[in-house]
Amino acid sequence: MTASGNKVRFLLNNQLMEVDFSWESTLLPSVTVLNYLRSLPGYKGVKEGCAEGDCGACTVVIAEAVGGGLVYKTLDSCLLFLPALHNKQLITVEHLADNDHLHPVQAAMVAHNGSQCGYCTPGIVMSLFGLYKNHSAPDRKVIEQALAGNLCRCTGYQSIISAAAEVCKSRDYDKFAASASGITARLEAMKTGIPLELLTNRQRYYKPFNLDDALRCRREVPEAQVVAGATDLALRQTKKRELLPVLLDISDVEALKYFTESPEGYTIGAGLSIESLRQSCAAGLPALKNMLDWFGSLQIRNVATLGGNIASASPIGDTLPLLYAYDVWVKLQSAYSERMVPVGDFITGYRKTCLRPDELITAVFIPKPRPGTIVASYKVSKRRDMDISTVSAGFSLDSRNGTVTQIVLAYGGMAAQTVRAVKTEQFLTGRAWSFPVIREAMAILEKEFTPLSDTRAGAAYRSLTARNLLLKFYEETEGEAG
Amino acid sequence: MKAHDPEHESAKKHVTGRSVFVNDIETGPGQLLARVVYSKHAHARIKYIDVSEAAGVPGIAAILTAKDIPGKNQLGPVVHDEPCLAQGEVTFAGQAVVLIAADNENAALEAERFIRIEYLPLDAVLTLREAIAKETLIAPPRYIRRGDAAGMMEKAPLKLEGILETGAQEHWYLETQSALAVPGEGREMTICASSQNPSETQAFVAEVLGIPRHEVDVEVRRMGGAFGGKETQANHVAAWAALLANATGRPVKIHLFRDDDQIMTGKRHRFLSTYRIGFNDEGRILAYEVELNSDAGAATDLSLAILERAMFHAENAYYIPDINITGRAFRTNLPSNTAFRGFGGPQGMAVIENAIDRIARLLKKDAAAIRKLNFYGINESNIAPYGAQILNNRLHIIYDRLMKSSGYEIRRREVEAFNEMNRCKKHGLALTPVKFGISFTTGFLNQAGALVNIYKDGTIQVNHGGTEMGQGLHTKILGIAAAESGVSAKHIKVSATNTSKVPNTSATAASSGSDLNGMAVKNAFDALKARLKPVACAELLKAGAKDPYHDGIVFAEDAVFAANEPEIRISFQELVMAAYLAQVSLSATGFYKTPGIHYNRETGRGNPFYYYAYGMAVSEVEVDVLTGMYRLLRSDILHDVGDSLNEAIDIGQIQGGFIQGVGWCTTEEIKWDDKGRLLSHSPDTYKIPTVSDIPEVFNVELLRDHPNEGTIRKSKAVGEPPFMLAFSVWLAIKDAISATGGHRFEPHFSLPATAEVVLLSIEEISKKIENRNETDPSPFINEEKIP
Repeated sequence: MTASGNKVRFLLNNQLMEVDFSWESTLLPSVTVLNYLRSLPGYKGVKEGCAEGDCGACTVVIAEAVGGGLVYKTLDSCLLFLPALHNKQLITVEHLADNDHLHPVQAAMVAHNGSQCGYCTPGIVMSLFGLYKNHSAPDRKVIEQALAGNLCRCTGYQSIISAAAEVCKSRDYDKFAASASGITARLEAMKTGIPLELLTNRQRYYKPFNLDDALRCRREVPEAQVVAGATDLALRQTKKRELLPVLLDISDVEALKYFTESPEGYTIGAGLSIESLRQSCAAGLPALKNMLDWFGSLQIRNVATLGGNIASASPIGDTLPLLYAYDVWVKLQSAYSERMVPVGDFITGYRKTCLRPDELITAVFIPKPRPGTIVASYKVSKRRDMDISTVSAGFSLDSRNGTVTQIVLAYGGMAAQTVRAVKTEQFLTGRAWSFPVIREAMAILEKEFTPLSDTRAGAAYRSLTARNLLLKFYEETEGEAG
Repeated sequence: MKAHDPEHESAKKHVTGRSVFVNDIETGPGQLLARVVYSKHAHARIKYIDVSEAAGVPGIAAILTAKDIPGKNQLGPVVHDEPCLAQGEVTFAGQAVVLIAADNENAALEAERFIRIEYLPLDAVLTLREAIAKETLIAPPRYIRRGDAAGMMEKAPLKLEGILETGAQEHWYLETQSALAVPGEGREMTICASSQNPSETQAFVAEVLGIPRHEVDVEVRRMGGAFGGKETQANHVAAWAALLANATGRPVKIHLFRDDDQIMTGKRHRFLSTYRIGFNDEGRILAYEVELNSDAGAATDLSLAILERAMFHAENAYYIPDINITGRAFRTNLPSNTAFRGFGGPQGMAVIENAIDRIARLLKKDAAAIRKLNFYGINESNIAPYGAQILNNRLHIIYDRLMKSSGYEIRRREVEAFNEMNRCKKHGLALTPVKFGISFTTGFLNQAGALVNIYKDGTIQVNHGGTEMGQGLHTKILGIAAAESGVSAKHIKVSATNTSKVPNTSATAASSGSDLNGMAVKNAFDALKARLKPVACAELLKAGAKDPYHDGIVFAEDAVFAANEPEIRISFQELVMAAYLAQVSLSATGFYKTPGIHYNRETGRGNPFYYYAYGMAVSEVEVDVLTGMYRLLRSDILHDVGDSLNEAIDIGQIQGGFIQGVGWCTTEEIKWDDKGRLLSHSPDTYKIPTVSDIPEVFNVELLRDHPNEGTIRKSKAVGEPPFMLAFSVWLAIKDAISATGGHRFEPHFSLPATAEVVLLSIEEISKKIENRNETDPSPFINEEKIP
């Protein structure tokens, strides 16, 4: 690489921060934003509740300059590596009020008695701030989505919902709106495109901003662990206390963030956030939208990526069964080559893939479902929001004159990797899409897998659910199938 | 919010991130942080502990084991069966064995890797069934009996018997256990604690350090949630921090990592209860025999008081003439279970509520009607099994109002119609009551103190023995202080709870915080006003008043005036300065003890409660028959808080307590592996309710116009009772399950009713339907019915 920087540069509220990473630096480049903030004097508002992105007590807002304006995102600072702030504005709870003049979301929380013990409150306030900046007159569903990543053990949430509904009723003009153009200009001026190479004696952290740099880095440093949203990877640092010695952070490679539609299908940049994807896919891919509505929390969706979800190859990854049902292809690129691999071939085992050490997942291609194909997704979990699925499923059905011509029944949570119910699929193919046939198929399906009992649920429940989801699919498609 | 109610006293600090929790306090560069090394075995002999290599890790200031404790190695609050650090053996996985103080977290983690502990694993008791079989009782069984339950059971026209398992619950306070210990000169030790019981924290810090209590100051500014989890367990972290601070001479902070907190600390007691209930064809309960068996964990802690409260609430809101309540607490090799909102009450009530649900199904009647039929009477049938008279019974008024406001009758028909029409979704509806006894059942704990200081600028500082954990106690006290002094809340500060200001306090627990401390604060103000009145009279005379003595002096609107001459006033500030110059003391203590509380554990007779708090809820759910997942469609709550001390705070307590109860009844499931190690040790697998788990329509109302005589400003306690209103959700789910079998089969049911429990129960019913002979004339099949 020709030029590189070793300073992470960002605005902490209105103040320019430059964190210098030299070889002797005691600060780890992958220090979480939470731990970094709490090490500074005067930034104890942000709280650690779980260090795994489940409780939201550490929620902060990041403003990015995009297309001449600012985009505000709520994030879990406990899962965010410091270099993710590069060229962005980090907004903390301390910055919302001006002395005794509260920000409207803060005033609403006070007026509605939205805090009791106060420990989750800074995180809730930041989620409300994100909601306030992004929505006017949100409905209950939008409010719930904005807050589902914030656990509160005291209030029962009703007062917080009331505060949210009232404060977002009319789009107010807060101090952030007043200073937005100035902040945008400052952030734009910071963007040099020069990749970061933070080389310290304990950790090397590479952060390219364009695809060529990313692929070159991948080839030159194949031992690097690739980081996209870090929502899974960061747990190895925060929970398992592992030192991640070499990291390649592709979260700000702009060329990986897109959603395009062609007559053949949809191409999704591997670096597109799940939240952006959720908002883009509603029209053409409703089953995907349905699945992403229950994917993590807003804080997680704002940074997690489809590429990351596929690359982690988790047996309980939310999107994978559906991607099997859509029959998607994964685009793998190296500095010198590119190839397209069906998702079923890409994943080779428990958290194993065929990704080569010089390759990155750069895109996911979802072929347009054939006319008449019905695709559906299901997620079964102990709690509806912010839970990992006990069983997830992606189904697709083609039928003619009431007879199944092709069917995919893909499941997560039933084996060490995403699996298709091959025997049931074979049984159904060529048979009538009818209740008696489904009953027979359910009996086959119930015996097709031998799932595990674990902390989330027992094997019997998993088998029953897998079986019943087929009935659910039938009940929902009975009138629609061709 | 009532116009004059102060907002939560910390609200502005909360929303701006300026409220300070223990982990936010920095004492300076010398501060160390602590790490606790705990047992991975449920039961084992410690063969040896070698910390020599770990001690050499750079950045390590001290490593301590049991032998380094200068005082007593003892933290059991009632029975002395709980060591501060394991000595010789470990009795649960998660038990503290070694303490590390280090400059930073990395050093502490590094040192932990070099600590060698060799264990010899021993047999462990890990389930309640096993404990019952092995009779590992921690104390003799307890009984409350009235009449001849066994005899009446034989005579009763109808009977049911059954077993109910209710699960453990993790407190999941957002702020994990924390403490900061700062050594002073000589043997002094100051603790910034996150403790519901600062006086007990003080006592244990003194005990483990081997110093008198007057050397130890404990201060609690606020807790980031507690719910009972910091009633005794906060003592542990404080003692550990104090030991390390004592050993190093430097401030030491502990803030447990979430997973460690979940692994190391005790939970709500799981219970396995068996019962027989006898009734007539009308649904009137004639006899009830119940055995409440609780999992105490490895040490006694508060288990016996919790068991006792479960027994006191075994009949909930119902008059049962012949009743036999047995309580047993068993020792297991799990962390010692402890106080949790409701304190056994929920576990006791769940059994009778489920039994009544079964009676209704058997008789094909609406369960709400069966409940109403069995409520305690106003003038008769109003004696509790332990002999106390139930006075000021609000059950009937609440029932009548709530049935109407919730539209129960119409919605019952709508639910039936919905269930007729839908095969894959079922609705369920249930009403449940709560009658909860208020007072510490250990009589002497019903006392509180306060210290009120008035300063020369006319501002007031109020100290009292209660602690603030989010429940709004300080806000209520602020309201009481303002009302009693006539001084605006903005001139009054409720200070952090501190053992050097108010000593020998009881835990802030049993929902009694405002009842006890509010009265103590009032008594302090009464003393101050008695001293200030002569000064006021003298000053008012100087100001032109004619006869200020005649009708008395009024303290109001930041001023004092004679009742008969309200236009002539002296500001409170002027009054205070005049009193100071007249050499009148401006500081007073207050004290309160609840009158008339007594209970004899041997006879099971007495009057353990000052009064009862009442409430009722109607909840409706929708269950997905194919997955077992459910949604809360609507909950209506009507709850009795007497004359509310602060409506916004009370409604917040009801909403929050109810949803916490919903969590216990639905998604909060704790699992251990077969070695006694906690599996659900983080929010990844332990699921408390989120914002989308609350009812879509959530109506909470206070019972108006029913003041509670004899308490502070005629109010009632509110902390715990609403928790148990969540049974309405639990039994609504059961109602929906039952609907899948046309209410002809008793669903297999337990608590929590996770989606897994629900689906397996539905599957069992559908199997029964399939297997049933179509010509079988029997209209009802109830597997658990006594032949």
